[in-house]
Amino acid sequence: PVEGSGDANCVDEILKEMTQSWPPPLTAIHTPCKTEPSKFPFPTKVSIPQSSVVL
Amino acid sequence: HSTDFSSTAEMPDYVVKYTPLVSMDQRQSYKDDFNAEYDEYRLLHARVETITRRFTQLDARCRKLTRGTKEYQKVHEEVLKEYKKIKQHSPNYHEEKQRCEYLHNKLAHIKRLIADFDQRKAQAWC
Repeated sequence: PVEGSGDANCVDEILKEMTQSWPPPLTAIHTPCKTEPSKFPFPTKVSIPQSSVVL
Repeated sequence: HSTDFSSTAEMPDYVVKYTPLVSMDQRQSYKDDFNAEYDEYRLLHARVETITRRFTQLDARCRKLTRGTKEYQKVHEEVLKEYKKIKQHSPNYHEEKQRCEYLHNKLAHIKRLIADFDQRKAQAWC
């Protein structure tokens, strides 16, 4: 074999293998919608002043 | 060599497991599954990305140089050195890359199902 050609082939192989296209990463899943219950804008419990309930 | 992301001759397990969503509870459980593997995915992805970028740079340098010149030889030696370094420091690089590709496809599948569900729901409201 020609001197150094083994190395050269080897390098070509390495470059071919190691430069395969790599897609950008997936982004995280964002919280969806306006329905997210924890973000409901109105308080679910209306606090009633104790004095008006208890006699 | 089967590193093509879309080469799915047989159906992957996640396609069987994750079917189109029908409820909010299911949405949450799919999202939990996504998040459970997302960190591992991002870590592997970043590692492969760094290595791929490094070799892409070396490849670009190689292409600019004439074969047989001293500089060309020098870049070649650098390629071999980098490759050896990877073999030493991360002997499982190929498995990691494959794992990352699998996770990429799996998480993309889950994400797509959730997006479809959200879209269907949004349309139902209008």
